[in-house]
This record gives sequence, structure tokens and C-alpha cells, in this order.
Amino acid sequence: MVSARVIRNLKSEFKTSALAKIGLALVVGIILVATFAPFIAPHNPTEQRLPESELPPIGFTDTNEKTSSEMVDGEIQTVTETEVIRADSDYVLGTDGLGRDMLSRIIYGARTSLAVGVLGTLLAAVIGVPVGMYAGYHRGRIDDTLMRIADVSLAFPSLVLAVALIGLWGRAAIRVPDPFVVTGMVSDMPEFFVLPITVVIVVGLVNWVWFARVARGEAMSLRSQEYVKAARALGASDNRIILSHVLPNAITPIIVLGTVQVAAIILLESALSFLGFSGTTLSWGFDISQGRDYISSGQWWIASIPGLAIMLSVIGINLLGDWLRDALDPGIQGEGGAA
Amino acid sequence: MSFGRFVFTRSLQGLGVIWGVITVVFALRFVTPGDPINAVAPLDATQETRRAIAAELGLDQPLYIQYGQYLFDLMVGDMGFSYIKGQEVTGLVFARVPATVELAVTATIVAIALSIPLGVISATRRNEPVDYGATLFSLAGISTPNFWLGIMMILILAVEFGIFHTSGRETDLGDVVISVVGPEPFISTLASWLKYITLPSIALGTYFMALITRLTRSGMLDELGKAYVTASRAKGIPETLVRYKHVLRNTLIPVITVLGLQLGTLIGGAVITEAVFSWPGLGTLVIQSINLRDWPVLQGSLIVIGTSFVLVNILVDTVYAYLDPQVVYD
Repeated sequence: MVSARVIRNLKSEFKTSALAKIGLALVVGIILVATFAPFIAPHNPTEQRLPESELPPIGFTDTNEKTSSEMVDGEIQTVTETEVIRADSDYVLGTDGLGRDMLSRIIYGARTSLAVGVLGTLLAAVIGVPVGMYAGYHRGRIDDTLMRIADVSLAFPSLVLAVALIGLWGRAAIRVPDPFVVTGMVSDMPEFFVLPITVVIVVGLVNWVWFARVARGEAMSLRSQEYVKAARALGASDNRIILSHVLPNAITPIIVLGTVQVAAIILLESALSFLGFSGTTLSWGFDISQGRDYISSGQWWIASIPGLAIMLSVIGINLLGDWLRDALDPGIQGEGGAA
Repeated sequence: MSFGRFVFTRSLQGLGVIWGVITVVFALRFVTPGDPINAVAPLDATQETRRAIAAELGLDQPLYIQYGQYLFDLMVGDMGFSYIKGQEVTGLVFARVPATVELAVTATIVAIALSIPLGVISATRRNEPVDYGATLFSLAGISTPNFWLGIMMILILAVEFGIFHTSGRETDLGDVVISVVGPEPFISTLASWLKYITLPSIALGTYFMALITRLTRSGMLDELGKAYVTASRAKGIPETLVRYKHVLRNTLIPVITVLGLQLGTLIGGAVITEAVFSWPGLGTLVIQSINLRDWPVLQGSLIVIGTSFVLVNILVDTVYAYLDPQVVYD
């Protein structure tokens, strides 16, 4: 478990590594933004203001060519006027095609990414860790069966399997009341957070295998340790040994894998929303798919900005994962699973 | 265990996994909400019509017969008929395979060709600007959504500067090969192909480029610290030989394992890259079949994707066993 040595390693690694500091700052920042979104967002992220649509971010301008026809001396003349669209200081990152504030959408999008990333990873771990522990501890036929199931599961790319399952099951979402809005601390913000529950379940189901593999490997190497043998000699049941001796000693690599998985699932969620397989429209991936229609007409920011948000979050989590790995367990390499 | 026996055992094992893949795909039709007949029958179909359709598709048979029939049909290459297009699924799916293979292979080659030298340089010039650049690049590369990267490249290189096409695949690798002997001029065919393939293969390959750079760098650093390197240097073996003949070879072994495991990521990445670039491959077929609820086409595509994953992994393991003879004796 978390011993004094572990904490010491974490601290010393943190002090020497600039990247670890950047990673932690990014992750803490995103968690704060996601949690307090209603306070931070300058506008309601779903409110449409058509007259203020397609405004560029501050510091940029956009042009709009208007063609009109007039009758001059009995002839039709076509007049092309170039209208310059300036940024509005009310909308720091500009607005999208429906006049929704980009900054507010980015802030609220962090909630979806983080919620799906964390819940999906937890689900994958809850399925994968017990199965892997049990198989690795007992070996034999159970283990063989598990490994074959894992092989079959790995034969389907996560994204393909996720898309297929969501296509079959539909795009269900749960509306979770936003405590800040419901209690009246903030007004004019969405009353509900829409959690795309099918996406959470599916990403958990397609990623459990990574946890099962790591847990199995750990259980296999721990089962022949002296203290496990001692516990067995004292008459402890297998389940008790797994729970109180094997699992606590295997927790470090599982945590490191979990961190990498949150990043991988955030990327997977954004891909699913981009393809239209999500239950919410407040998501970075969804905004990129909307912005895609505007890249040939010059409104570059609608697709670009959400992508930067994804990139920064995933970089942050990956750096955090590197830090944990280097500090906790220099021997392992976690490179499992991605979109 | 001899090398031949290893390959044989591994192939048998792979066959078992393919059987598992087929079984999972067969089971998929039962997780569909409602009766599978709903997907085919018109909404206002009478009970009579529904029963007729069920009989026609064999859906009125007991489960084990349906399953046996499914396995048998697959063995003779019959994946059923598309609900929507009324064509044979086998033909529809295999027509899409070359485009996806072309994209995936090009992306992999580009990724490997650039990342291994980059990883080596990064490791041998540790803590120099080149190393920081490579580390930063690989961190960004594994953290960037490939579909977004694709859109950004379309925005800048295709829309703004007009260097590449925004989408499609009008010229394929086959055309390039034919133009060597055929009437079409080779250079312009090649240029046309490059205009289509470049952006999608970079979008798809960047993640792997970043991943392999990272793995090569850390692997090289590990190996360079080992005793045999010191011994080789002490013996007076030229540094180039030490690095490339001994160290790099040992570094590549774990790189190959990870590549095999990440093959699923490559195919998954191809699905979304195809969606961004309207690339007419298996990925676009998968998405289309889901949106149209054309389950036989989805099932056929999944079987082809799963099976090729297993086959390529057998190949990877074979190469692995060849490079590292210890594997065979495990």
C-alpha cells in the first residue's frame, strides 16, 4: 500500500522533474475547471445567439463576402462587399456556428471528458482487476480460459467494438442535476449534467482486458512470495489472501495503468463523440465534428480549439502517469490501450 | 521446441481465437434490442410476412442450428446478404480491404522509418536539444486525437495551401504500380497518389511514430547501460557497430511486441481516419453499416477485422521468435 517509501519516492521524483510539475498542474487545473464549470463559464454553453454566431477569438478577424444585386440604369449589377467580422471581448475564444460561446463549451466539455474518463476507467478496473487476480492466483484452467477471452477481446479494436456496441444499444444518457445550479448558487447555466452512460459502460467493457492482464501478472508473481505462503499455512482462505495480501501489493502498477487508461479513454470518448456515437452534445469531440463543416469557409477556431483542449488534458494525464510510474515502479512499462 | 513447431502451435492457438471472434460476432445479433427480424421486416409487416422472413433467414431454427449454419457459411465464404444494398456481404467487405490495408501499411512504414532513427538519435544524444525535441514531439504525438490532427492538416495543407486533396482516394497504389509499365505517366500518377495518401497516413501514423520513438529511446538507454556494451567497447568494436548491430537489435524486440499489441489501435485509428478523409475503406463501411442498421455488413466487417488482427499477430510472433530465439524455448 502507500508506504512512507512510496511517498518519499513520489516527492523526490516530483522535485527533480519539471514535466511532473506541469502534468500535475494541468490535471489539477482541469479537475477544478470541470468541477466549478458553472462559476467559471462566462455564458451558458448551450444558449444559442444566432446574431453573434461565428465570431472569431480575440486577436483575430474574419471576413464575410456579401454579394448583392442592384438595378443600375436598367442593368443588373452584382456588388460584392467584404465585411470584416471583429472579435467580441464578451467571447474570448469566439463563438460557434450557432452563436454559442466557445470558451464556455470548452469549460463544460471538460466535465464530459473527465467523467467518462474516470468512470470508464473505474468500471474497467472493477471488472478487470478481480478477474485477473483470481486467474493469476489460481492458474490452471480458469487462467487459460481467461487468457483466451482476453485474446478474443483484444482482436477487436476498442474503437470498432465501442462503435458497434453503441450502434446496437443506442445512445443513452443520464441527466445528473448540477448541484450549484439546483441550489441556486448560479443561474442561467444548464440545470443538468448529461452523462453519456452507454459510452461509460462501453469504454469500460472494451478496456477491462488491460487491467485483467496487469492484475494477472502481478498475482502470478506474488502468489509464490513468502508472506503469501505463510498466510496459506496459517489457514487463510484463498479469497482472503487475494484481498489482503495480493491486491495491496499489486496496487501500484494498477494505479499507473489506471492513469494511462484515463488518458486513453478520454481520447476514445472524443473519437466516439466525433463520430456521433455519444449521448451528449457538450463534448470536445462533438464540437470538433461541428467545426469540421466550417474549415473550408474560414472559421478555423470552431474545430481547432476543442482539439487543443483534448491534447492538453491528455498530455497532463500522461505526464502524471509518467511521474507515478517513474516514482512508484521503475520496472514496469505501461503502454496499454488507446483509441 | 523447434522454430517450426512454435509457428505451428501459435497458428493453432490463433485459429482458436478466430473461432472466438466469430462466436462473439454471432452473439452480437442477440444483444440487439428486440427481435432481429425487426431490422429486416418492414414496419407494417404482418405476422405472416415476419414469419416468412424469419424462415427465409433461418431465424426460426434452434440456436445451435443457426450457429452451425453460420460457421458453415463462413467456411465457404458466405457472410449473408446486406439488408440495405441487397448484395453479398463478402463482396462488399472485401472490396473495402485494399483501401484500408494501403492506408494502414503506409502509415506504419512512415511511422517506423521516422521513429526508430529519431529514438536512436534521442537516446545517443541524451539531454541535448535534439533529445528534448524528440521527447516533446512524442509526448504530443501520443496525446493528440488523430481525427483532429487530420482536420488540422486538411485546414492548413489542403484548404489553405492546396498542396493535398481534402478527401477521397481517386488514385490508389495499384494505379501507381500499373503506370510503371502502362500508358499513364509514372511521375504524375505517383504525385496524384501522394496527394491522397499523405495526409491520412500522417494522421494515422503520428501516434505510432510517437509511441515507437518513446519505446526506442527508453529501450536504447536501458541497453546502453548493460555490461555487454561496455565489454564490446572495451574490445574495441567500433561504436557504430555496437549501437546499431547489438544495442538496436535488442531494443527492437520489445518494440515489436508493443507494435503487435497496438495493431488494434492501428485498425481502430484507421476507422476514424477514414471517416475524416472519406477514405473508402473498411472503417467507413463499419460506420455506414451501423448508421443504416445493416447488421450482416457490420458482422462481416468485424469478422474480417478480428481475423486479420489475429493473423498479423501470428506473423509478429513469428518474427519475434526469429529475432529472439529464447521465445521458442519458453
